[in-house]
Amino acid sequence: MSYINPSYSEKFESRHNAPDQKQIEEMLKVVKAKSVDEVIDQTIPAGIRLKKKLNLPAAQSEYEFLNSFKKLISKNKIYKSYIGTGYYNCITPGVILRNILENPGWYTAYTPYQAEIAQGRMEALINYQTMVIDLTGMQIANASLLDEATAAAEAMHLLYASRKANKKNANTLFVDENTFPQVIDLLKTRSEPIGVKLQVGNLDKLDITNLDLFAVYLQNPDNNGAVKDYTTFIESAHEKEVFVVMGVDLMSLVQIKSPGEMGADVVVGNSQRFGVPMGFGGPHAAFFATKDEFKRQIPGRIIGVSIDASGNPGYRMALQTREQHIRREKATSNICTAQVLLSVMASMYAVYHGPEGLKKIAGRIHGLAQLLENSLAKLGVKQVNAHYFDTLKLAVADKNSIKQKAEAAGINFRYFNDNHIGISIDETTSVADINTILSVFGSATADGKPETVKLPGSLIRTSPFLTHPVFSTHHSEHEMLRYIKKLENKDLSMVHSMI
Amino acid sequence: MKLNATTEMIPVTWPELGQIHTFAPADQTQGYLEMITNLENWLKEITGFTGVSLQPNSGAQGEYAGLMTIRAYHESRNDGHRTVSLIPASAHGTNPASAVMAGMEVVVVKSDAEGKIDVADLKAKAAQYKDKLSCLMVTYPSTHGVFEESIIEICETIHANGGLVYMDGANMNAQVGLTSPANIGADVCHLNLHKTFCIPHGGGGPGMGPICVNDKLKPFLPGHAVVKTGGDKAINAISAAPYGSASILIISYAYIAMMGGEGLTNATKMAIFNANYIKERLAQHFKILYTGANGRCAHEMIVDCRDFKKAGIEVEDIAKRLMDYGFHAPTVSFPVAGTLMIEPTESEPKAEMDRFIEALIEIRNEIREVEEGKADKENNVLKHAPHTAAVITADEWTRPYSRQKAAYPLAFVKDAKFWPSVSRVDNAYGDRNLVCSCLPLDEYEKAEA
Repeated sequence: MSYINPSYSEKFESRHNAPDQKQIEEMLKVVKAKSVDEVIDQTIPAGIRLKKKLNLPAAQSEYEFLNSFKKLISKNKIYKSYIGTGYYNCITPGVILRNILENPGWYTAYTPYQAEIAQGRMEALINYQTMVIDLTGMQIANASLLDEATAAAEAMHLLYASRKANKKNANTLFVDENTFPQVIDLLKTRSEPIGVKLQVGNLDKLDITNLDLFAVYLQNPDNNGAVKDYTTFIESAHEKEVFVVMGVDLMSLVQIKSPGEMGADVVVGNSQRFGVPMGFGGPHAAFFATKDEFKRQIPGRIIGVSIDASGNPGYRMALQTREQHIRREKATSNICTAQVLLSVMASMYAVYHGPEGLKKIAGRIHGLAQLLENSLAKLGVKQVNAHYFDTLKLAVADKNSIKQKAEAAGINFRYFNDNHIGISIDETTSVADINTILSVFGSATADGKPETVKLPGSLIRTSPFLTHPVFSTHHSEHEMLRYIKKLENKDLSMVHSMI
Repeated sequence: MKLNATTEMIPVTWPELGQIHTFAPADQTQGYLEMITNLENWLKEITGFTGVSLQPNSGAQGEYAGLMTIRAYHESRNDGHRTVSLIPASAHGTNPASAVMAGMEVVVVKSDAEGKIDVADLKAKAAQYKDKLSCLMVTYPSTHGVFEESIIEICETIHANGGLVYMDGANMNAQVGLTSPANIGADVCHLNLHKTFCIPHGGGGPGMGPICVNDKLKPFLPGHAVVKTGGDKAINAISAAPYGSASILIISYAYIAMMGGEGLTNATKMAIFNANYIKERLAQHFKILYTGANGRCAHEMIVDCRDFKKAGIEVEDIAKRLMDYGFHAPTVSFPVAGTLMIEPTESEPKAEMDRFIEALIEIRNEIREVEEGKADKENNVLKHAPHTAAVITADEWTRPYSRQKAAYPLAFVKDAKFWPSVSRVDNAYGDRNLVCSCLPLDEYEKAEA
C-alpha cells in the first residue's frame, strides 16, 4: 500500500481505544464471536438501541484540537482580579504545578480504597488535615469537601442532627447576611427539604434566646471583608445551646485569632488560595473542621493513622462506616468524591512555604491592603471596614465611572449593588498593582510603609501553627521536589497498570 | 478507569483557563462560555435530553440536583406530596443518601435471583405509592453490569403512576452512542465526567456530575445567586460556582472533540468487548455473577469470591495479593459483598488485560493451595499480602512460602516491580485509636503503649 496521502490525519480514537485490529481478532476467538458488533448485538437489547448515529462535530486530531482550542479559549480576557468573594489569585509554585497538577503519577490515581498502595497521597492528605486543624484552631478536619458553600451545608446537616437535648425541636438556622451570596444561595437549597428554617439577617439584631434557633452561620472575614472577634457572641450562643459555624479564609488565619480560639463549633472554607488556580470556579478543595465531639459525624473522607501488619504506622481512610455505601439512607451525607488532587496541592503549598513563609505572604497581602487604604484616604475615598485582612470596601459616589476606568486598565473590582466597591488583595499583588488601582481613583502614587498588623490586639493571632516538622523541612526546591516524588512513588496509579 | 489523555490535560494549566475569576464579567469569559455551550450541546446529543446543568461537582451532587429538579417539578403541579423515591436494592449507596437529603422517603425495590430489578415488586410498589410516588432512581446498565431488558417497561410503569425516572449515569460508558437515557425512558440523568468523559480521578477527586434533563425538568435546572444560570423556574444553587469545576470541563470537551460521534460509539463497543474478553477468560477459573440473556456482560462484570470463604480466604485477601502482582484491585464488595467488579474500559490493550487475568488466575491457584491443605490457612501468601521490600529482604524469613513466590509470583512482575510501602493496614485499630493529623512517629508509638 502507498503511504502517500496528503489528507492523512492521525486519529485520536486509535490512541484512546487501545486494542488494534490484530488484538481484536485474537480476542474474538476467545469470546467466540465473529465481530465486535456481534458481541454488542448480543449484549444490548435491540429494543433500546439508538436508531441513528450521534450527531457530533467531526473528530479532530490531537494537534488540530490544541490549535483550534487555543483560538477559542483566547476569547477569554485575563484581567487582574480583585473581586475576592471566596476566590483569589495565587501563585502555584512551579515545583507543585509541574510535579503534581501536571503529573499523571498524581492525577491518575484512584480513590485511596487500597491503602497500602496509596500511602503517598494519604500522607499529603494528613498534612492537609493538620494544616486545616492548625490554622482553624479546631480538633479534627476532613480531606476534603467540594466547595465552601456545600461545606457550609454539611455543617448545617451535622449540627441539625446533633441538636442538644432542649433544642431537639429547634429548626432555625440563622445566617448572617454578610455571608458570601453563593453560600446563602446553597444553604437555601439544602435547608428546605430537610425541614430546616433558614433565617437570613443582621447578626447584631439576632435574638439568641429564640427557642427555635439551633445554630448560627457567620463568616469571618465577612462578605464585605470585615474582620471581627466573635468570642463573646459565641459564648452567649453556647449559653443558649446554639451552635456556631464560621466560614473563614485560610490565608487570613495566619494573622487573625483562630475560630477555634473564638469557640466555633464547625469551621468551613475554601483552600483555593493555597496555590490552586481560580479556574472560573473550580475545582478547589473545601475544608471542614470541628470539635472532637463530632468526629464520628464528620461528612466526607477523613484520613487516619493506623498500624500495619509489621507494626509500622500506615495511613488509611478512617471511619468508613459513616459513609453511604454502608449506611445508605442513614448515612451522614451523600458525599463520595472529594477534591484530593486540590487538597494535595494546597497542603504542598503549606509544606513549601511553611509557617514563616505564610506569615510573609499574609503579611504582604495585609500590608498592601493597608497601603491601598492609606493612599485612597489621601484621595478622599472612604473605606468602611473597621478591621480587615485583605479586603477593602469603598464607599464611592459613582461606581459606574470607576468600573469603566478599571476595565480600561484591565482590572476587575467587586461592585456591590449600592455604591460600594470591594477590592481584595492577594498573593500576586505588587506595589505597582496598587499604583494601577490608585490611577483608577485619581493620580496618586502609593506611599507610606505599613509595618504592623492593623488589627486590635485581641484579634491578632498569637497561637503557633504548622509546627510539625514536615512544614519546616522542604523549603529548598530540591527538598520539595524529592518530597513530592517520594510520596508519588508510594502510590500505584494508571501510570503503572490498569485500575 | 479509562485513559486521561495528555492532550486532554494540557490546556488545564493554561492561564486562559486558570486565571479567570469565578465571577468575572461575561465579556471577559467568552472563551469559557463558548466551550460550555458546545459541551452542553454535545452532552444533550449523547443523552438525548434537552437541558444541562454543569453545576454539580460530583456524581452524588448530580443525584441531589436531579432529585431537586424532580421535587420542584412536582411542586409546580401542586403535587408536592409526591415524595416517595423507589430505589432498587442494588443501587449505589449515594442514591438513598441523596434522596433523603432531597426530602424524600426511600422505598427499596427488591432484586430477583439474577440480580435484576424485580419487576413484579416494582409494579406493586409503584401502585401502592401511586399517590405519593416522586421518582425511581435506577442505574443503567445495572450496577450488576447487565442491560436489563425490562428497563422500558420499568420506566413506563413509573410514569403511569405519576413518577419520574432518575437515571444514575455511573454506567454511561456502556451507553454512549448505542443507547441513551432519554431513549430508555428516563427524565433526568447525571454524568460522571470523571468516569465516562476522561476527567482523571485525581487520587479521589476532582470529579464532575452534571445533570441532563428533558423538557419537563428543564425549567427547574439550578440557578445561582451571582451569575444567571438554569431554567426560568430555577431551583437554588447546587454548587458555589455557577458552572461547577469549570476549568476541568476542557478534559471532557477535548475527549469528545477528538473522538467524534463514531469514536465515542466505538469506545462504548470496545469497553463492552474488553469486558467480555476478560469475562470469558476468567469464567474458566471463577464464578461470574449475573450476565445478560446471551451470556454477555455489559462494560463490567462481577467475579464471585464468596466460595473461597470456606478456605478462609476473603475478597480482601485477593485485593491485597493483587498488589504483589503490581495491580490495584478492582471495585471490592460493590454491589455485592464478597465480590470483585472489573471494569477494564476501552483504553486497555489486550497485553495489559492478559497480565491482569494471569495475575487473577495465579491467585486462584494460590487459593487452591489453601483449599487443598497444601498451604496453611493463616500463614499463607494471601493472608500476608501485600509484601513490602522490607519484609522480603529481612534477614529472617520464616514464612512457609518462598520470597520469590511472595514478591515475583509471575515472570512479568520482575520486569517492573511495584513495591507496596506498608504491610496490610489494620482498619479497626485505626478507628478505635483515631489519629487524623500528623504525629511524630515517637509520639505515635507512645500513644499506642
